[in-house]
Amino acid sequence: MRRLAVILLLIGALAGCGGEPAAPPPSSFNDTDVMFLQMSLDYIGQGDQVVALAEQRVADPRIRALVVELRGQWRTEADTMRRWLAGWQRPPSADPDAGAHAGHGDLHSLRPADLAELAAARGADFDRTAVSLLLGHLHNCVEVTRMEATGGLYPPAKALAETMTKHRQDQIRRMLTLTA
Amino acid sequence: MRRRVILPVLTIATVGASLFIAVAPASAHGYISSPPSRQANCASGAVANCGDIIYEPQSVEAPKGSMQCNGGGSRFAVLNENRNWPAASVGQTVTFNWVLTARHATSTWEYFIGNTKLATFNDGGAQPGATKSHTVSMGGFSGRQTLLARWNIADTINAFYSCVDLNIGGGGGTPPTTPPTTPPTTPPTTPPTTPPTGGTWAAGTTYAVGSVVTYGGASYRCRQAHTALTGWEPPNVPALWARI
Repeated sequence: MRRLAVILLLIGALAGCGGEPAAPPPSSFNDTDVMFLQMSLDYIGQGDQVVALAEQRVADPRIRALVVELRGQWRTEADTMRRWLAGWQRPPSADPDAGAHAGHGDLHSLRPADLAELAAARGADFDRTAVSLLLGHLHNCVEVTRMEATGGLYPPAKALAETMTKHRQDQIRRMLTLTA
Repeated sequence: MRRRVILPVLTIATVGASLFIAVAPASAHGYISSPPSRQANCASGAVANCGDIIYEPQSVEAPKGSMQCNGGGSRFAVLNENRNWPAASVGQTVTFNWVLTARHATSTWEYFIGNTKLATFNDGGAQPGATKSHTVSMGGFSGRQTLLARWNIADTINAFYSCVDLNIGGGGGTPPTTPPTTPPTTPPTTPPTTPPTGGTWAAGTTYAVGSVVTYGGASYRCRQAHTALTGWEPPNVPALWARI
């Protein structure tokens, strides 16, 4: 995938030489922007599995309102992210076997086992598990959005990251208040 | 022209690739959410002016062995400050719930009040499941106390630290500023039904606790009742299946 990215970069650069830039010039975004979009899309995909299940089964209406809200925001955010990546001729997800994630495993990801535990939980236990998984997951999302806010280059992506940080922090606050 | 272009571009791509690794966030991992730890009270807004900890209550990571709320060092020193931290009203038995952002292989979880160790839970290097909670006896302590919890990681030199302010037994000190936490409802442990033996694991099957299946030549016992889905094969989901 790294090789593909290099080739795409080369094609982009050479095309730029020819005077027909199809995408924004390479200098308008950096690797952090790309990583932010790819990692966030991956996290949204994982989180969607929790909220889809929670939407159907969670008992506490306050948690239900939160997951419905989260799902809507994620949908809008993901659309924008895919559009930008396509414009930059970058894949929507990073190769999990290459680069930053090599040897790191899926430590910071929701595992199939976690979703299985959520699906198996009943009653109050379901709500508790959903909140626990979502809190951990949103903290991971915020790490990526804060990385973009400080290390990104593309202004609209940095602005999106700031907005996402605000929304996720607000959702974290609400869930912590619920569990306190 | 072509060669002159390719070399710098390749160089940029290589530098970019190494930056990609350098800026990857790799911190952060867990804290006690209820009763709220100091970092949870910061993240929830119950306590103001905490600094960056509000964005990463899970990141209080430091070498093992510290007795300080921030694990020692200068980062997140706000957690050691003598503020008017809200204290949760609890009884003599308290269930502590963790929020995890990375499920590290764990050696132990330890709980202290002062220099008294209240409890140790030895996970023997296992990774935590979706949730993690411990029920701890307060060992006769009463009134306002600060409990220190340490999550000792099995494969690094580090631990994660969480301090929880408690008002134990409702006695002594100022009245709690937070409403009393509802007593933890421990899920009823279903008595082990006689394990149905034999059978190959199959997606779509509903398994009860204690069911035994075979998969890939090995036998597994069901740890939690569930309906199996593709991807939940017993070797993939230790939370659901224990190899026997």
